[in-house]
Amino acid sequence: MKKIKQNLPAFPILAYLTILVGIPLLLVVILSFLSRDSLGNIIFEFTLSNYKKMFDPVYLKVFLNSFTLAILTGIITLLIGYPVAYFTASLDRKMRSFVILLIMLPFWISSLLRTYGWSILLGKEGLINNILMFFNIIDKPLNMMYKFGTVLTGTAYMLVPFMILSIYNSVDKLDRSLLEASYDLGGGKWKTFFNITLPLTMPGIAQGYTLVFIPALGLYYISDLLGGGNTMFIGNLINNMATRGRNRPLASAFAIGMILLVVLVLFIYGRVTKNNKESLYQ
Amino acid sequence: MNLNQKKFRTFYLSLFFIILYVPVLSVVLYSFNKSSSTAYWAGFTLNWYKELFNDRVILEAFNVSIKVALLTALLSAIVGTASAITSVYVTKKTEKTTNGLMFLPLIVPEVALGVSLLIFFSALKLPFGTFTLVISHSLFCVPYVYIMVQLRLKEINISIIEAAKDLGATRGQIIKTIILPLVMPSTLTASLLALAMSLDDVIISTYMAGPTTTTLPVHIFSMMRVGVTPKVNALCTLFLVGTFFLIGINQIIGTKGGKFFEQK
Amino acid sequence: MIEQLLSIRNINKFFGKSHILKDVTLDIRDGEFITLLGPSGCGKTTILRCIAGLESIDSGDILLYGESIKDLAPNKRNVNTVFQNYALFPHLNVYDNVAYGPRIKKSISEDEIKKRVTEMLELVQMSGFEKRMTHQLSGGQKQRIAIARALINKPDILLLDEPLGALDLKLRKYMQTELALLQKRTKTTFIYVTHDQEEALNMSDRIVVINEGVVQQVGTPNDVYNNSKNLFVADFIGDRNIKEVIVLEKKEDFYRVKLGSSVIDIKADRSMADRDKCDGTGSAILAIHMDKMKISYTQILNSLYGEITFVHYAGSQIRTDVDVDGEVITVIEYQNDYDNYNIGDKVYVSWEENGALLLPKEK
Repeated sequence: MKKIKQNLPAFPILAYLTILVGIPLLLVVILSFLSRDSLGNIIFEFTLSNYKKMFDPVYLKVFLNSFTLAILTGIITLLIGYPVAYFTASLDRKMRSFVILLIMLPFWISSLLRTYGWSILLGKEGLINNILMFFNIIDKPLNMMYKFGTVLTGTAYMLVPFMILSIYNSVDKLDRSLLEASYDLGGGKWKTFFNITLPLTMPGIAQGYTLVFIPALGLYYISDLLGGGNTMFIGNLINNMATRGRNRPLASAFAIGMILLVVLVLFIYGRVTKNNKESLYQ
Repeated sequence: MNLNQKKFRTFYLSLFFIILYVPVLSVVLYSFNKSSSTAYWAGFTLNWYKELFNDRVILEAFNVSIKVALLTALLSAIVGTASAITSVYVTKKTEKTTNGLMFLPLIVPEVALGVSLLIFFSALKLPFGTFTLVISHSLFCVPYVYIMVQLRLKEINISIIEAAKDLGATRGQIIKTIILPLVMPSTLTASLLALAMSLDDVIISTYMAGPTTTTLPVHIFSMMRVGVTPKVNALCTLFLVGTFFLIGINQIIGTKGGKFFEQK
Repeated sequence: MIEQLLSIRNINKFFGKSHILKDVTLDIRDGEFITLLGPSGCGKTTILRCIAGLESIDSGDILLYGESIKDLAPNKRNVNTVFQNYALFPHLNVYDNVAYGPRIKKSISEDEIKKRVTEMLELVQMSGFEKRMTHQLSGGQKQRIAIARALINKPDILLLDEPLGALDLKLRKYMQTELALLQKRTKTTFIYVTHDQEEALNMSDRIVVINEGVVQQVGTPNDVYNNSKNLFVADFIGDRNIKEVIVLEKKEDFYRVKLGSSVIDIKADRSMADRDKCDGTGSAILAIHMDKMKISYTQILNSLYGEITFVHYAGSQIRTDVDVDGEVITVIEYQNDYDNYNIGDKVYVSWEENGALLLPKEK
């Protein structure tokens, strides 16, 4: 009884969240097992047809596209972002806070703006082509838009601050004396990096990768603007099905599929960081 | 770090930031271009901005966005702060459950969340508009207020709360006279963040918008997919200015709030 | 008639499996300055917090003016605490900090509050600081505001939890005098917690020595200093030589004991040792204040004989180590012009009667 009294104040917020998050998601789950008729009405009959459709080669390719995009985005942001984080951590205090501010600034800037900027740069008549042609490096404009690579660029660009900040946190916590010990024992710069720095910043890398991977699966406006609908990703698919396609049950199934993918990634992240913690305490 | 390494560091970081900001700057740049094409520079003009102010649809969308953002920020501030303070007084299990539900909207991809809310609200036969927008926006804004206020709460020295008890304050009085004043800076900062996130939201707003209510980002999005006029650029540039304004306010609050935590 | 203001009856407290307070019983008198003294972790702060209501007790009772308060919430007890880290409210200025108690209880008008705050600030010599923010104050100033904030509520008891710990030595000594004077002036009962025995000896009417959750001794500073009841108190308070001796025989008014090869007599009333175990086979502990001993080159009755192994001049004191059959006795004396000890000198060590104690040997 005492416990219930103690927990009473939390009931409003729990109710709020359950109603607005729990129930909608529950509806999605339920809907994913239903289907619709030709008029668009829901047929209340349990069916696995939506999930079966997911394994259609067409749809499977979509999942694969999104998955590949997310993986590659993670790798690119890692390769580009790690040095940024590393160098930032080595700056002196004043410079460092300024640089961190510059890294965080894009968070506040409209994501549409940031994506649109790339279409200006990469278009047939875009800034990059203009400059390249101006300097006679090329005579015909490059076709850079509406490709997988375009979406990749836009997505990586959007998410790289997450990676940087996660890695920065790890690098910042690094005990400098460990590096000095390594140098003292004869390790060169690169050896120290691979044997000491990299393993110890793994938590940051894992966190950054997760923080990049998950959104990369779902930022469909980037693929809309930069991909031009040529290469379909999960986000676009669900959006189409739910609105124009009028097939909410199918959209629900795909949404669940997407959520499961995310849960899988989080699960992997949880295992990876758990193992890491253990090894650190050896 | 030797000189060469320092040089490389400067080079790399500079290159990075150039690439980071060039897309943004080019949008701004072309908002002043006389020509509507990016193929060439036709001269400086403010025409596109003028056109903006005459575009009724855009102005309407702007109104909607601001209204929704302010309401979202307010709602999130209240709900987030109240939940954070509550989480201190309840059992660990309840706190964990609250945390889990709270952060669910952030983990679930926005598309999935948008679809689920679409289904939910249509099932309830609720009219889509400001109300649905604010409610759905609050779902991804409240967690930020919650987490930031929680962080601030943890920084409060427990002996201050004990001192207040010792001096005769009831729990309600402690919350009113001690806790709320001390977490206010965090609430404000997080509310600003909520404001920015609400203004920026595209995906959820697409689903939650009504027949007559469109938010600015959703409208901009459709403009980007269809038209090619730099009106979009002008709009984005103004958006950018507004963003910096918000950041400025945030910085000011940040420094004022810091003073309370100099003693520990 | 000495009034029993606060009665602590057989309280026990557990933190998880740790038995922090073991059957603690204590009576506090009205208007006294009583100190809970003991090493870190002995439970003294816990007792204080139990009185304040910030901790609950697992068994026993706490009575204020005869009425049980153990189930009262801290905000309902007429007891106030001065915290170790001052716990001043960072978002309120000095005036609002001090006014907090009366204001929150809505017991008096704003005018009356203003009067009382001014009074309090005067009392702690912080008049004029009303508008200052707490982070602008020094440690000593914060301390005084914390005291004012507590005293303004006219509590039955003021609890002070090692309030001077964070101050430097000089300021600490100054504040000790200030606090003692304040207590006498306001006639409020002070319960003071510290691990610093000098502080306790300086300020208190009575001292409660505590170790590992058990009350070791309650008495005046003189009591605990000179007539320590057990080994812990004898060792904790003052600087003593603690040596194991063999009890040879006990007489009507003295005990004959053997240290090394020296045989010495200790007056019976200086002995807390168990009278039954003194037959030549029992051992006891001899505890003598180092600064109540004297070195002499000429033989003295009832003294120890040994060789000087170490001499140290420390300001106004001389510390001399004398080796008595393998046992090292340290003697602290105050410098005289003619004292000139050399290592190797054979000397006699004697002591004032009331500086020595014979205590039972505990397991």
